[in-house]
Amino acid sequence: MMQDKKQEPVLSARGIGLQRGGRWLFRDLDLDLYAGEFLAIVGPSGVGKTTLLSCLRGMLEPSEGSVSFKLSGTSAHKPEDLRRHFGIVFQELQLIPNADLLTNVLCGRLGRFHSLSTLLGFPKKLRQEAYRLLYELGVGENPHKWAKHMSGGEKQRVAAARVLFQKPKIYFADEPASSLDAYYAGRVLGLLRQEADEKAKPVLCVLHNAEHIQRFADIALSLNQNDPKAHKMRRVRPVNEEAQV
Amino acid sequence: MSPSPTPQHEKGPALTELPWYRRLNLLNTTLVIFFLAVIFSGSQIEGNERELDVLKNLGRFLSDFFPPDLSVLKSTGSALIETVEIAILATFFAIIISLIIALGAAQTIGPRWLVFSMRMLLNIIRTIPSLIWAVIAVAAMGANALAGVAALTLYSTGYLGKFFSEAFESVDMKVARSLRGIGADPLQAFQYGIWPHAKPLIWSHCIWMLEYNIRSASIIGYVGAGGLGLQLHAYQEFHQWDRFATVLFCILIVVTVLDFLSEHIRRRIARRDGSNDALSD
Repeated sequence: MMQDKKQEPVLSARGIGLQRGGRWLFRDLDLDLYAGEFLAIVGPSGVGKTTLLSCLRGMLEPSEGSVSFKLSGTSAHKPEDLRRHFGIVFQELQLIPNADLLTNVLCGRLGRFHSLSTLLGFPKKLRQEAYRLLYELGVGENPHKWAKHMSGGEKQRVAAARVLFQKPKIYFADEPASSLDAYYAGRVLGLLRQEADEKAKPVLCVLHNAEHIQRFADIALSLNQNDPKAHKMRRVRPVNEEAQV
Repeated sequence: MSPSPTPQHEKGPALTELPWYRRLNLLNTTLVIFFLAVIFSGSQIEGNERELDVLKNLGRFLSDFFPPDLSVLKSTGSALIETVEIAILATFFAIIISLIIALGAAQTIGPRWLVFSMRMLLNIIRTIPSLIWAVIAVAAMGANALAGVAALTLYSTGYLGKFFSEAFESVDMKVARSLRGIGADPLQAFQYGIWPHAKPLIWSHCIWMLEYNIRSASIIGYVGAGGLGLQLHAYQEFHQWDRFATVLFCILIVVTVLDFLSEHIRRRIARRDGSNDALSD
């Protein structure tokens, strides 16, 4: 059953490389990500994990090579035309500090609406849906509180709620659990894993914690600090195990 | 044995003081220039040649203020209301115009040529005092309150446009950019990514401008642009200082109350950022 979905990769990168200040961060990187796969990007700090993620989602032009997408229900292949289908958890979260938690979560869906229909706010049904996500992630106590008055861990859960609320076709998450305790880290990564398993959405996730990689990822891509070509792709979880999660 | 005085050779190396010209930094230089200017101006400005008892004059002038003629309180009251109305309308129109201009004048939002021309425009508007704007407006629209609204609208636009564009510039653009990254269009990115940050600052400037405009509105009547100034001018012309005093006291009370209120509100906005949960904690 899993093999059927794997006919065509959702994301495929061919020979991408990026040069920064005369130094190659990575080179000759090939990547095929199929529906429902969870890819962990690993490596020491400063090796270029965030940069690779930006490259893959089209925010940064790679110095060489190309990235193309084949998302269901869309005809575009280039990342710049697909932005509203990309769910992103930024490393610095990028929440709106002077807006309440509910609005922050609702903003995940801005791309689906015309600006005139969101001019006076979001429909009540959506607000209820957004609130449920906040509640599920343990930040539903005061949805009208401003994001800037929340702690780091709470903000990260709001950012997770925002990306899940967006219902994107593919996830790019940059250390989505870095300031969460073990319980909520498992919760957030578990929800991403669930998106991969139940809705066959691919997830790309920068992860540090070895246990998280073992528990949630299918494939781990590790970048090498000394040799830009020495990145390694390793299957964490055998293909036939995926269905049992 | 009595303590002997310190011998000369134990003093150590002698301190070398800086020569006077080495101490002329910008602060000291401008301070010296200012004092020279004070001396020069003092020798140039002359009063009346006659011997005048300034204190006696002042005393006589001020004694004319008392007791204030409260019989004009009613007409002063309606002029006061007109003054406030002029200020409210002028502030409102200035806010609308300034928001549009400020979008163009903010470096983080508008293109370069637009930023430059909008800033030039705002600078020019600001260099003209409100009283001169009132003269221009009265010349164009006649001596009425509407001219006062027009004059103060233009005058306040010069300030609000500058303040608003600075408020927009103070916003970190990262949030707006990341919203664009997940598919928001430019208007949505502005509404949700920039506006929430700028709003408290902008509203605080608006309150300040309203307060300022009420002060200005009470003086522009001097050149015919409606409001309290018209009355002040008339009473001055006819040397009705007791009535003049009534108007003055009214202005004093309104401006003091307003100053206190606006200060209080603005400080609270700055501190709490107008958060919805401000009342709960």
